[in-house]
Amino acid sequence: MRGIKADGTAITVMAVDDSPVSRKMIKKALEPEGFQVIAEAGNGKQAVELYASVKADVITMDVTMPVMDGLEAASAIKAVNPGQPIIMLSAMGDEDIINDARRRGINDICSKPFKPDEIIQKILRIL
Amino acid sequence: MELSAQLAPFVKATIKNLKDMLGFEVNTGGMELEPDEFTSQGYTVLVGFTGGWKGRLILDMPGETAIKMASAMTGEPYSSAGDEEVLLSGAELGNIIGGNAITEINNSQPGLQIRLTPPSVFTGMGMTMFNARVNSSSLVVNTDVGPVKVNVAVEGAQ
Repeated sequence: MRGIKADGTAITVMAVDDSPVSRKMIKKALEPEGFQVIAEAGNGKQAVELYASVKADVITMDVTMPVMDGLEAASAIKAVNPGQPIIMLSAMGDEDIINDARRRGINDICSKPFKPDEIIQKILRIL
Repeated sequence: MELSAQLAPFVKATIKNLKDMLGFEVNTGGMELEPDEFTSQGYTVLVGFTGGWKGRLILDMPGETAIKMASAMTGEPYSSAGDEEVLLSGAELGNIIGGNAITEINNSQPGLQIRLTPPSVFTGMGMTMFNARVNSSSLVVNTDVGPVKVNVAVEGAQ
């Protein structure tokens, strides 16, 4: 169970994506390994607001979302807590977007479609 | 068979995602270029794009194919193509296929900065797809769960 920490508690995740199906696919990939998705947000603004009260070990962040995109949301969260691990999870992965994500301090990038093992390994690497 | 420069990245992304993400068997030997006007098979995903290219991608398939596609994505059984999660799955599939194709185009032609618009999904048999002011090209990708038509229209493309 790679989603369980040494102290026996689950690695917690906030899944930010405007697609409920995509959030379901993230949970389907992570929860069998013991990770716990403790919060979900459908856009960047919701994620930033939720972050005031819910702290997860890692945030998976889609890029293209309504109201506030994932890059802006990542910047806002990093401004509050520069050490918060964030993985960008997006079907759009051109160099402009990747460079922008890195400038904003996003820790790693995972392109959609993702394989469960790929996202798990990226989470474990940045924690 | 030579695909147009506009259609090829979308067909490549469709085949990759049907095989790798959904685990479908894809019979690339059965691909056929289609006329640019066609009638819906019952379930249609439309994703627009803007920036250096303006146009849209359509993925069209039978409702049964859409149901199997959604089940492969979420692990849940569905009975109707109009089920909310089947519609949401099609939107996400269109977003992923469109995003992968646009990424390839943007990386090969820096400066285009093409971006996707939010996807729409339509259900219903017999809708006629007609394009005003743009040429489109189509190709059918045959899978073990049914045919998926990929249709791409780009403003200014021949």
